[in-house]
Amino acid sequence: MALNEMKFEFKAENPKSINKGWSHFGVVGSGDMEILMEKMDLNGSVQVKIVTPVTGFDNVWGMVMEKFIRSSNLGDVYIEINDNNATPVVVSMRLRQALADANKQEEEVDEDA
Amino acid sequence: MLKWDELQKANFTDSNARARAYGLVDKGTFTEFVSPKDKLSSPHLPVLGEAIEFDDGIVTGVGLIGKRPIFVVSQEGKFIGGAVGEVGGAKMVKTIKLALRAYEDVKKEHPDSYEDRLPAVVISFETGGVRLHEANAGLLAHAEVMDQIQDARGKIPVITIIGSKVGCFGGMGFVAAATDVVIMSENGRLGLTGPEVIEQEIGKDEFDAGDKALVFRTTGGKHKYIMQDCNFLVADKIGAFKTQLDEVMKIPFNEIEGYRRIGSLKLVEEQLELVKKAVEIAPKDSKDMWKYFGNENPESLTNMSYDEFMKSVKRRERICK
Amino acid sequence: MEQENVKVWDTLKRDKEERIGQVKNLVKEGKVVAAKDTVALLEGVIKPGDKVNLEGNNQKQADFLADCLCKVDPKKIYDLHMVQSVIALKSHLDVFEKGIAKKLDYSFSGTQAGRLAEFVKDGKLELGSIHTYLELFARYYADLVPRVALVVAFEADKEGNLYTGFNTEDTPVIVEATAFKQGIVIAQVNKIVDKVTRVDIPAGWIDFVIESPKPFYIEPLFTRDPALITDTQVLMAMMAIKGVYGEYGVQSLNHGLGFFTAAIELLLPTYGEELGLKGKICSYFALNPHPTMIPAIESGWVKNMHCFGGELGMEEYVSARSDVFFIGPDGTLRSNRAYSQAAGHYAMDMFIGGTLQIDKYGNSSTATANRISGFGGAPNMGCDAKGRRHSSEAWLKCGKEYGLQEELIGNLPRGKKLVVQMQETFKEKLEPTFVEELDAWKLQKNANLDMPPIMIYSDDLTHIITEVGIAYVHKCTDMKEKMAAIRAVAGYTEIGMQADEKETEALRKKGIVKTPEDLGIDVSRANRSMLAAKNIKELVEWSGGLYNPPAKFVNW
Repeated sequence: MALNEMKFEFKAENPKSINKGWSHFGVVGSGDMEILMEKMDLNGSVQVKIVTPVTGFDNVWGMVMEKFIRSSNLGDVYIEINDNNATPVVVSMRLRQALADANKQEEEVDEDA
Repeated sequence: MLKWDELQKANFTDSNARARAYGLVDKGTFTEFVSPKDKLSSPHLPVLGEAIEFDDGIVTGVGLIGKRPIFVVSQEGKFIGGAVGEVGGAKMVKTIKLALRAYEDVKKEHPDSYEDRLPAVVISFETGGVRLHEANAGLLAHAEVMDQIQDARGKIPVITIIGSKVGCFGGMGFVAAATDVVIMSENGRLGLTGPEVIEQEIGKDEFDAGDKALVFRTTGGKHKYIMQDCNFLVADKIGAFKTQLDEVMKIPFNEIEGYRRIGSLKLVEEQLELVKKAVEIAPKDSKDMWKYFGNENPESLTNMSYDEFMKSVKRRERICK
Repeated sequence: MEQENVKVWDTLKRDKEERIGQVKNLVKEGKVVAAKDTVALLEGVIKPGDKVNLEGNNQKQADFLADCLCKVDPKKIYDLHMVQSVIALKSHLDVFEKGIAKKLDYSFSGTQAGRLAEFVKDGKLELGSIHTYLELFARYYADLVPRVALVVAFEADKEGNLYTGFNTEDTPVIVEATAFKQGIVIAQVNKIVDKVTRVDIPAGWIDFVIESPKPFYIEPLFTRDPALITDTQVLMAMMAIKGVYGEYGVQSLNHGLGFFTAAIELLLPTYGEELGLKGKICSYFALNPHPTMIPAIESGWVKNMHCFGGELGMEEYVSARSDVFFIGPDGTLRSNRAYSQAAGHYAMDMFIGGTLQIDKYGNSSTATANRISGFGGAPNMGCDAKGRRHSSEAWLKCGKEYGLQEELIGNLPRGKKLVVQMQETFKEKLEPTFVEELDAWKLQKNANLDMPPIMIYSDDLTHIITEVGIAYVHKCTDMKEKMAAIRAVAGYTEIGMQADEKETEALRKKGIVKTPEDLGIDVSRANRSMLAAKNIKELVEWSGGLYNPPAKFVNW
């Protein structure tokens, strides 16, 4: 019954971290997920932790995450995801949106919440 | 998340709990308590194999409206239907406690002008009540929130906001009713037993939960506004709720008590009068009540736009004011 | 002895007269029979072994007559052969349970599909064939002529003129087949009136009319709440508009009933307008009056829309837009399923809709292992019309691209209908869309069918749209290439994970596979804010208050 917990680590070429110190995106609705990104010195790599009730898709999660991290050249970020049955397309879409949010300028954030 | 200015224009219904919390206070003033980064999720859900959320479905924090600190609780209906469990419940309770502490501090620091800086609590409800997965803790949380609302009474205003898909039902329906001021949109619903539960317990003939039009004209914002169960009706925009909150903040505190619907002998008597009247009218549908309170063509109210509705609606006269 | 040699050529007519004679006493005035006498009427006019048509489809239902048919005495009436569009109501199967009916030829079943499969398995029901609507209608004029038809209308007069109006649907095709082959037609109506609003079926074709105790049931099947459209559906709708509608200049089309096409409809006035496609696509529809079409119609996109049936709540709106819809002199819609299906087959350049499963070859099916859901009308529209001889820009372009054209007909130019299937690679609960083998095969075994029920065959399919990209499968020159194109858009399903990166690259170069990037679509814009209406209330506002959504969709 317990939740399924997965951990991955990837290293992209020429990795670049996010602008904000940390950033949060999304809601754990049915078929959806939330993403927490934290800037962290990880020697250029990205560590990912995923918590989900879904089993049997660990390899798909690994592939989706790797594709996202390689295509965005992300590095030195710790990512935590709480998932509730999101499909791979929703996962990819949310990751892109979360990254866009995490790369907003800090000033912009302070002024505009 | 959208920028604050864009949030004001966003539909309240379509926005998530965090966006609502940011948008309900002045631009750039919101600070979240126990944010997702603190990762304070439910300890009970993982044992049951249920998905968790870092904020446990409740966003809490403080912002400003003018000089007044506004303590915000914003429930997220997309996460387990907004049901309140141990962590989320504790966040609600603690937020009201902090508001009360701020009240003491403000009074001490500004003894002559503390009304300008009087804190307030704003709760945006989107919930069916207790989270059954952690029912004991959830029930306890309901009791504690009630307790805090009683402590706040006569000190700081506690304001309810309901404008979301899930509405406000179950135990939290009681909690909302116990606050000083209720602001709703026509998309908001307020009740105790949820429509599906009524149908399941008493049958489709009593209440057809699939008939959404019936559900809304029995529990929805327009009906609650006519019946005076809610004080203000606003459009489905975060900015509309914010503007109404600004207005409520202008009400002198000694008049806030007059906006309550329950909580005194007089108010109980007023409610009992209404019950008597209902027996006398024997309504078959809420539209019969609307008609009784002066709406000649109650049928037409449902589909009216917000502006039209506000222009033409007749409400029940309050006895106490 | 001489008399035996005289050949009788009007036995059907004599039989009809004899049956009608038996129930004369039940007729009050004109052709009117009281609701309470309906069971007696049916017992009088139906004989064991008759082919009986019980009207109903995915929208309106002759529900009162269906209930009454269940109440006839199975000792008197048995072994009926039901020929009807749908198995939708409990009563449609109860007649088999009670031993009144024995055999079934039909087209579509929704909520009763699971029970139907059980009945077939348990031998309670002998299944003839599962048809498409048009195919079944065609057989009403060949080997499945109904002896008795039980139909439904809004109004009748005492002489038997019927007003079927907004929900005319299947009535004309059933009544014509029955009445002109000396069959008996009984109509349940909501109201018997002195003068019908409009004569949709003339009195001479009708034998009995009954005012039912309750108005007949109608399902609002084509209403999709825009509030439930997801960001992914918006993305795929953008891909469809740019990569298919715009690419081919599709002017005449039919939409399936899912959320993907609802998203497309709501993007026409926003994204479609932005791409400058207004007037160049989507002018002619064979389509039910989808509420989600309101913003596009109001924005002047649609020249003409013919409807299979009505849609609850759209009555007033449709009446007020007679330039777009087919409206009678009385001011109300006339729908007609048979004609609309014919238009969908022959006059439309494109069919686009969702599906449940697509196999590695490109065959798609909505069948699951234990439900005989049938076909409805989709295959009639979702196939190349081989008898088509008129041309259009979209049809010719698709034919020109067809990879097997030369192999099949040499150097002749010939068009091809666009048949587009749209689905996310995974559906809810992470069910994969792309599969090694369709569940239709399991159903074939479980229900002992002659062949697995396929909604759209691979040789008719031209495009697959998923969130990964569009596969222009008709461009492929052999099955091997087509299977690679399917793998390329199948995402992280088992099928998709077999895709070879180099092979996919080659297909992208050839224009057989296009990703959102290839199409020049900014994925970050793909969200609900693109929709012209975000909820039902906004559809009402677009309609200027003319759209009256059914109670179950009114969430305010």
